[in-house]
Amino acid sequence: MQCPFYVHKSLVKLFNLPEEKVRVIQTETGGGFGGKEEYPSMIAGHAALLAWKSGKPVKIVYDRAEDMVATTKRHPSRTRHRTGVTKDGKLLAMEIDFAIDGGAYCTLSPVVLSRGTIHAAGPYFCPHIRIKSRAVATNTPPHGAFRGFGAPQSIFALERHLDKVAKAIGLTPEEFRRRNFIRAGETTATNQVINENVDLNSLLDRAFLLSDYYQKQQRFVRDNPGRSVKKGMGFASFMHGAGFTGSGEVYLQSLVGAEATAEGHVRILSASTEIGQGTNTIFSQIAAEALGVDYDLIEITQPDTSNVPNSGPTVASRTCMIVGKLVESAVLGLRQTLFGSGLLTENYTQAEFKEACGKYIEQFGPLKSFSRYQPPPNVQWDDQKYQGEAYGAYAWAVYVAEVSVDTITYEARVDDFVAVQEVGRVINPVLASGQIEGGVAQAIGFTLFENVVWQNGRMANNQMTNYIIPTAADIPPIRVYFEENPYAFGPGGAKGIGELPMDGGAPAILNAIENATGVSFNQVPLMPEALLRGLAE
Amino acid sequence: VETEAQKIEVSFRVNGERRSLRTFPFERLLDVLREQLALTGTKEGCGEGECGACSVLLDGKIVNSCLVPVAQTDGADITTIEGLALDQSQLTDVQQAFIEFGGAQCGICTPGMILAATDLLARIPNPTEDEIRNGLAGNLCRCTGYLKIFEAVARACQKM
Repeated sequence: MQCPFYVHKSLVKLFNLPEEKVRVIQTETGGGFGGKEEYPSMIAGHAALLAWKSGKPVKIVYDRAEDMVATTKRHPSRTRHRTGVTKDGKLLAMEIDFAIDGGAYCTLSPVVLSRGTIHAAGPYFCPHIRIKSRAVATNTPPHGAFRGFGAPQSIFALERHLDKVAKAIGLTPEEFRRRNFIRAGETTATNQVINENVDLNSLLDRAFLLSDYYQKQQRFVRDNPGRSVKKGMGFASFMHGAGFTGSGEVYLQSLVGAEATAEGHVRILSASTEIGQGTNTIFSQIAAEALGVDYDLIEITQPDTSNVPNSGPTVASRTCMIVGKLVESAVLGLRQTLFGSGLLTENYTQAEFKEACGKYIEQFGPLKSFSRYQPPPNVQWDDQKYQGEAYGAYAWAVYVAEVSVDTITYEARVDDFVAVQEVGRVINPVLASGQIEGGVAQAIGFTLFENVVWQNGRMANNQMTNYIIPTAADIPPIRVYFEENPYAFGPGGAKGIGELPMDGGAPAILNAIENATGVSFNQVPLMPEALLRGLAE
Repeated sequence: VETEAQKIEVSFRVNGERRSLRTFPFERLLDVLREQLALTGTKEGCGEGECGACSVLLDGKIVNSCLVPVAQTDGADITTIEGLALDQSQLTDVQQAFIEFGGAQCGICTPGMILAATDLLARIPNPTEDEIRNGLAGNLCRCTGYLKIFEAVARACQKM
């Protein structure tokens, strides 16, 4: 599960029990990607009801087919754009109509819609933006969270559309974007003034240089006419807001604890789950760095609702930036207590720190410190007007895809991929590049393979035999580069990273396919059948 | 209806240890390993031979244990992920490289992936990148995007 306290809240309601009578313990499981955001509350409810009735422990296992047919998927979407530009290629007005398919019940659709809407105008400045958004009820199982949470859907449409606008006004796609990239001091559609020192032009420069964009594009233009396999280059520029949207973090009121042991170790108490993305590693690094002690001194407490405070769900690219910041301030609070007691002074050694913890506990009892979320200064959101700081910070990126399209077999493949991003300071390079590579791979699946076939409101291809995800043979080199620009309110300068890489792949790949074939495709997944139809016209 | 009388006696070696058990002949090897022998390092990903999470070595060959009826394994020699390293301080080169290069995230594909990589390197000691890709194409990973796995395998064969 990603959210022990969501499951806890559901069980408290379901059984009408006092909070302390329900205990939820998370153990390390397979990756989340949103699939373990709200749905585990359902499975937990079923298991708990059976256990209640039978008086015995109950374990529920969904096999893959049941998992695919029953659990939530990404919201299908449809986006329409109308854009006005000045003669010199400046965005003047954007009208966006964004609709997502919520399925038969309203689960996370309002918040998926909100994130999708706020990302719909992209990392550009435009003085007049009107976005009409809605989630509609249909007769499928409810759609829910999947990495990116609405943003991949709306960014896909925008970044395809901007290539078309550029073409219509006679600018290259990159020149058109350069003229409109948002800069520090400019505002977004929700009137959020960008305070970050964002430099999308330099991300674009670097991505084009590393992908050898111009040379390759020229070569492809020259070579494509004589070949059945057409090659092309495409890119997308985009951003992803970290943490809950709008006032979400304020409502969550996340709390993190740190507790010293008599041996001088520091235990982190949080509800953030380790699901392979590296929560435990990152929190240990953040705490160790803040305290100036070895990483080995930090222990992470297993998320157990009877034992850890509610630091919110493990979602929304918030674990490192939001919860990690609370980890940092909680351990600093603990150190402050030691300073205040006179048992520790500035410029301490690790041995002195450990000794001080032991002495404090001996003299005064438990040494604990808690830190609760406070929005950074000037981060305010008006729920009624839907205006203000939608996110405390954004990650910014430019992704370039090189593709080939086989005009005999109608297969499209990604031959090379360059991912340049600014996510604040990178705390752990291996984990960070692992997030980007894995996210880009999922985006390639989203773009070219992963087709949910619906029949009478039911997923027909609920098997890994016919719902195809990328294999080792389908993944190009994914070359990952970070521009580091420390974020003042993130732990050690870090921002969110997890969802960002899901956003840019689809438009970059389809822009490249248009560059290769001259045919514009506007829907993903782009299956060979659709390529055949498009190329035949 | 399955009855006790339908069970058969199956004997095999698992990770070097001789084991005998009574089981229904069409039990999946995967379930026998996990439930009867408590070797839960072998994972179920799809149950239909697509994902490779349940890979084990059967008489030295990599197989999807979800597709193997246990009756076929009488007399066989089986290696699961638990049988690769003697203990945590003696990981194999492949296991060590997975840790160093970030080849594992959530860990569900990892046991099968490591066995597939071990099998690949036993067959092709110095694989090209294409050979690594194709050698691991039967093992799906949802987290890593595979690149760090390729890197780990390439590094492991340099050490071996």
